[in-house]
Parts: sequence; C-alpha cells; structure tokens
Amino acid sequence: MSIAALDGVRVIELGAGISAAFCARVLADYGASVLKIEPPDGGDLVRHWGPFPGDTPHPEKSGTFLALNAGKRSITLDVGSPQGRELLFELLADADVLVENNPPARMRDWGLDYDALAGRFPRLIMVSITPFGQTGPYADWKGYDLNAFHLTAAGSRYCGAPDREPLEHGTFSADYYGGYVGATWALASLFAQDELGGEHLDVSCAEAIAASFTGCQNIGDFAQNGTIAKRTGVGMALAAPATILPCRDGHVWMMALETAQWKGLVHAMGDPEWARLELFDSMFTRAQNADLIYAMMTEWTAGLGKQEIMDLCQANGCPSTAVYTIGDAGSLAHLHERGYFARPEHPLLGQVRILGAPVHVPESPGGPASAAPLLGQHNSEIYRDRLGLDDTRLAALHARGIV
Amino acid sequence: MNARLPLAGIRVANFGWGWAGPVTGQTLSRLGAEVYKIESRARIDINRTIPPFAPGHHHDPDCALQNHAGWAGNGSITLDLKHPEAQALARDFVAHCDVVVENFSPGVMDRLGLGHARLAERRPQLVTVSMPAAGRSGPLSHVRTYGMSLSSITGLDSVTGYLDGPPVPMENAYADPLGGILGAFATVLALNWRKRNGRGMHVDCSQQEGVMQLMAPAFMDFVLNGRVARPLGNRHPLAAAAPHGVFRCAGEDRWIAIVVAEDTEWQALVQAMGAPEWSRDPQFAHHAGRVARIEELHRHLGAWTTSHDDRALAAQLQSAGVAATPVLDVGDLLSDPQFRARGTFFEFEHPLGFRETLYGNYVKTRKAAAPQRTGPMIGQDNDYVFRELLGLPAERYQRLVTERIIY
Repeated sequence: MSIAALDGVRVIELGAGISAAFCARVLADYGASVLKIEPPDGGDLVRHWGPFPGDTPHPEKSGTFLALNAGKRSITLDVGSPQGRELLFELLADADVLVENNPPARMRDWGLDYDALAGRFPRLIMVSITPFGQTGPYADWKGYDLNAFHLTAAGSRYCGAPDREPLEHGTFSADYYGGYVGATWALASLFAQDELGGEHLDVSCAEAIAASFTGCQNIGDFAQNGTIAKRTGVGMALAAPATILPCRDGHVWMMALETAQWKGLVHAMGDPEWARLELFDSMFTRAQNADLIYAMMTEWTAGLGKQEIMDLCQANGCPSTAVYTIGDAGSLAHLHERGYFARPEHPLLGQVRILGAPVHVPESPGGPASAAPLLGQHNSEIYRDRLGLDDTRLAALHARGIV
Repeated sequence: MNARLPLAGIRVANFGWGWAGPVTGQTLSRLGAEVYKIESRARIDINRTIPPFAPGHHHDPDCALQNHAGWAGNGSITLDLKHPEAQALARDFVAHCDVVVENFSPGVMDRLGLGHARLAERRPQLVTVSMPAAGRSGPLSHVRTYGMSLSSITGLDSVTGYLDGPPVPMENAYADPLGGILGAFATVLALNWRKRNGRGMHVDCSQQEGVMQLMAPAFMDFVLNGRVARPLGNRHPLAAAAPHGVFRCAGEDRWIAIVVAEDTEWQALVQAMGAPEWSRDPQFAHHAGRVARIEELHRHLGAWTTSHDDRALAAQLQSAGVAATPVLDVGDLLSDPQFRARGTFFEFEHPLGFRETLYGNYVKTRKAAAPQRTGPMIGQDNDYVFRELLGLPAERYQRLVTERIIY
C-alpha cells in the first residue's frame, strides 16, 4: 500500500464555471481533500448548465457539474458577507490551496485578494484562474471562455475558413487549458510548500494559450519577418495529405507526410493508378495538387467506415486516424480496458459514468473517491464537526442567508 | 522575487521530441528544475530544421526560431543512442537525475536499455513519465498519430467546426503544448508521491486521456441522453449564453467575440447599440428567449458590428459591462496592451549574436520566477554533464567525441 500523491492536502475551491472546478477536480483525483464553496442561492452556476438527464433541468443533475466536481465536498457560504468571510477565514487557517476564478475586482471587494490573505495565511497557495489575469488593462474586463480563446489568435491563425469567422473548439478549451496550467503550478508549489511557504499563481487562460500554443510557433517569425499567418481551412496547407476527409460513417484525419507513410497509404488504398504519378512523390508537390489528391482520396474513403480506414492505414504504417465522435470515444474498449472511466455512486442518480483521472499513476489511487456533492451536502460536517458551530449559531446564519 | 523556485534541485533527463516533449521540459524548467534534452547530431531534431532561422544563420540547427520557443529552458547533451556505449552513458546520467521524460512509442525506451525498471535499479527514487499518444497499455497503445491529429481520437475534433457542418481541423497541434503541460503535471504529481512514499514510479501519461478531459460536457450528454455532439460554431457548448459568437467588424478579417450570459448584460448591450427596434423584442429580454432565437439574434448583432472597429467596439462594450473582446490575429499579439503589460513575450539577446522574440513565464508568481531563457544549442551542456557530473576523464571524453558516441 502506498500513500496517495496528495494525501493530507486541503484545497478550498471558490469559483464558478469550468476552470477552477476542473483544476480542483484533478487535485481531488489524486487524494487532495477538496471543499467546494458555493453561493447559497442556487450554488455553482454549472448546476444550471446541464446537460440534464432527459433535458429536464435539476440543480443536482447537471452532467457538467457531476463531471467537474466528483470527489469533492460542498458547503454553501456567502463569502460576500462579513460573517461569511470570517467562516471562510477559519477554513483557510488549515488549508494548503485556494483555487478561485472570480473577477479580480470581486475578490478585492470581498477582501479575499492575495494581498489581503497572504499576511494572515503565509502558507496558502492561491491559484487564480481568470480569462485575462490579475494585472494589465484587461484585468477588470468581463470575459468568458470564448473571449479568452479568441484573444490568443489561435482561432484566427488555425481554425476556420479564411473568409468566415475564426472558430474555437466546440468545448471550453480555454478554461480547461487554464485549469491544467493552474493545477500544474499548484502541484509544484505544494511540493515545496514546507520550505517556501505560500505563493500566488496568477493564471490567465488567454495568456497561457497565446504564449504556449499560438506564440510558440508564430511569434518569432512575426517579430523577425512580419509574417501574419492565417487559417486556411485545411489541416496543413504546405504538405499533404494532412486534413479531415469525409467517409461512409463520418470523418477521418488523413495524414501521410513522410515517404513511407505515403507509400503505406497508397498500399492501403489498393495501389490506385493515380497515386503512382511521380508528381505525388513528395508531400510538398502533393500539397500543390491538394484539390486533386483530396478528391481522389475521398472517392476511396467514401466507401469505407472510419474505423476500417484507420485500421487499414495504421497497419500499413500510415498514421491516419478516425475522427471519433464523443459516442465513439466514450465507448472505446481501449479506454474501458485502461480503467479511464469512473462510476461513483450519486445520491439521486445512482452510478453515473464520468471521465476518470487524466493521468494514470499506477501506485497512487487515481480518480474520484465519490460522486459530485449535493448543494451544501457537507454543511453539517464542516460547520458543526470541523468548526464547532452549535445549532443556534448555524440556524442564525441560515436565516440570514449566509449558509 | 527572487526566492528559490519550487523544483530547484530536481534534475530531469528529457528524451522527449516533437512539441509535447520539449514543453514538458520547458514547464519543469519554469518551475525550477534543471532539464537536459538528450539529442544527437546523427539525427538532428526536426524542430531544428524548420524555418524561420535567425538572419544570417540559415539552416543553422542552433538558430531555428520556433525550436527555441518550444525547447526554451531545456539544456542539451548529445548522445547517439544507437551505440551501446551511448546508452550506458545515458544510464549513468539518469543515475544522477530525479526524472526521465519520454514520448516515444511504447517499447522504444526498453529497446534502448532505458526502460524504467532498468533505470530504477540504480535509482529507485527515479520518476519516469512516459507520454505516448494513447498510453502504454490497451488495444490502441500502438496507434500512430501526429500531434495535430491526436485530438481526433478524443472526440475533440468532431465538435470543432461551423454549426451543422463537417469537422474543421485545428491546423496545429493544440494537444501538443497542452500535452506537454500535462506531462509536467504528471511529473510534479509523481514527485509529490515520491515525497510521501520515498520511492519513484513510472507514470503512464496518455495524451488521449489528458486531452479527452476537455470533452467532459459532451461526454456527459452522451452518457445521460445518448446524444452525440456535433459542431456548433462558436456557440456556447451548453446553450448557457446567447449571444455567444464571433462577429465581423470593419476591415479585413477583423472580428469581435461577444458573450451575453446574463439578462443585465443583454440590457447593457441593447443600450450600447442604441436600442434598435429588433432588440426591444420582449422575448430577447430573457435568456430562454435569446437562446431559442439565437440565429436571428446573431444575424442582427453581426449586421451591427460589421461597421465598427473591433478594438474600439470591444472597449465601448466593456465599459458598458458586456463581455466583448477583439479577435486577435498573430500580428496583434506583440502589440496587444494586455500581453505587453504582462510581459507575455520578450526579446532575447542570443549568444550567437541575434535578437529573437520568445514567450516567457505566462504564469505570474509573487515570490520566484524562472529566468528568461531560449532553447539550447546542440550539446551546450556536454562539458558540464559528462566531465563534471559524470566525472569522465579528459581522454575518455575526447575518445567518445571522436568516435561520435557523444555526438
């Protein structure tokens, strides 16, 4: 038996939406004890986002909430009130990490910004994940995931048709990116917390992506040569095949750049006459004739299923893959076999399948130990047992809408 | 500033390649670790051959700009691992390391005599982070993908595209820098485990599983309702905001991203537009009405934004309380006031005599920040690692260089 990677780590999550909840979820996955603080009037707004079973809204049945908050405990607390803040301070006294994604001005109004907390809680590692960051002229701008994503130039550069609007992935990809970044930096600070004490980790989702994704492969060229590269609508403009093509039951990501990969693809396609042209020997000349190549390849892919094409290509040394829908990916035997999915028991829904831990750590328990909490499910445990509040005081706080 | 960094004293051997491998090393370096890339002149890293190069340094593998950005913070030693003696030296080096990072296909490290079990014989505290495409076990463990197409096996690509259209490719590997950060997450997680348990471990960091986390909302709709998500353009994935989109502005390829999640934000937007007739439709005053007629809403809004300057309009809407931001292109990143204020990008004076622009510490910290660094020159740390750390005598070192083992 071994001790979980984050055994004994106490995390308080004070946020709404995706980024902070995801950051805290991956800490919970590896043994941290995460206490989620929700506003008494309705809780985390993700409780109202769904998807709901049968599309019937219910604050305890939001799928996104279930996914992001498994393994946590929930209390309700109005941290905007003076009494609420005092209770939060009592909880912060023995917390290691505070994860939050509130607008910086709201945290200041509440007296919960890092400067206000650091003196009182010198060991506290505070992770602030916001669209734009704690500083700079946009710090107090209003922003959501979509705003953050499109501030990175990732859409303009890489996604969409040249004459149409730039696209984000069809999910909260900026929020998740920031959540991963926050969790990574938090783990490092935790590793050295005994020696170094607390720290404030100011994560801007937009900045993380603008730097490490778009910036990495574009900013040197722009600064030196003034190159402003834009999206093209195909996977790669300069080499081919490298794009998504339709097939009988969906789509495939066709990819064959190196000579051996192209030869493998040609073999997989049954060695058609057209593919033998010398013109198609290099990925660059293939790209110059992309319309022709993609039309010919589509004739082949149209008759086959995505998995069939993927298997044929992979067997022939060509790294093409099926474009799995979430139904395909969510049903993969591969992922079942690896134990990627978890089925914690939810008080209202029974066992619901959710995505497990993001990284497989063989010797440390990974994945959620319990289902997502009901709103305020742990009020009694935390307020009575941990903070020692008596019934009278708790009733008074309840009456005033603080708990 | 500048206190000790959290991973100070942690040494990393980075056998990574592509884009995810360097980013794991870079991230650990930003957190204070001492990271060395193991590479060889016998097979030059393809990143070192990709233009643009610094002026006057064309095709110099030490001067490829995007290679510098990706590998920033990693050091470099050279070993041609096809020689058994180079493999033995790599093992000697790893015996001085805390962490090994690699993203080869499963089995490659074992064949090089560099599998975790063998390395851990000499270094029981070693943490090895393997980050193959789909993990080290299971029927898909040998799948071959490029970083750009890896997201296809997570479901992510299937929901990216215009409303009701086919999937549109993200034309670069979002999964790579994200997977690189995930590799660093896995590393620091294992270091926390080591601290509690006193020994190392082999972490199986599947890029597929890491990236698929982004699909949780769609996955839950599949699990709860059997529904299979499709591309929605820039609409809110859970229909929790309307408008929620990117709208054309004046000028070539200029756009603005506008999100309205709350009724008060809608009222602010209506006021900012001067309350045109269409916007006063009472149904639009409430979230449900806006969601139900989002297409119409977007059409009207797009017709209004199209004559405005994106930046001016974003500033105007922000001051009214609406979440609006310009859609930046690559040319805007360096001059954008927010990224300038936060020092997101910086100019670096390279020792080979040119200036280059790189991205810096994008997470802002209070106490300690890593120095601004570029990517390594090939073998820049050979002397330190082989002579000082491993203590190779001058004669043997010279022989290994001559025989192209340290190469």
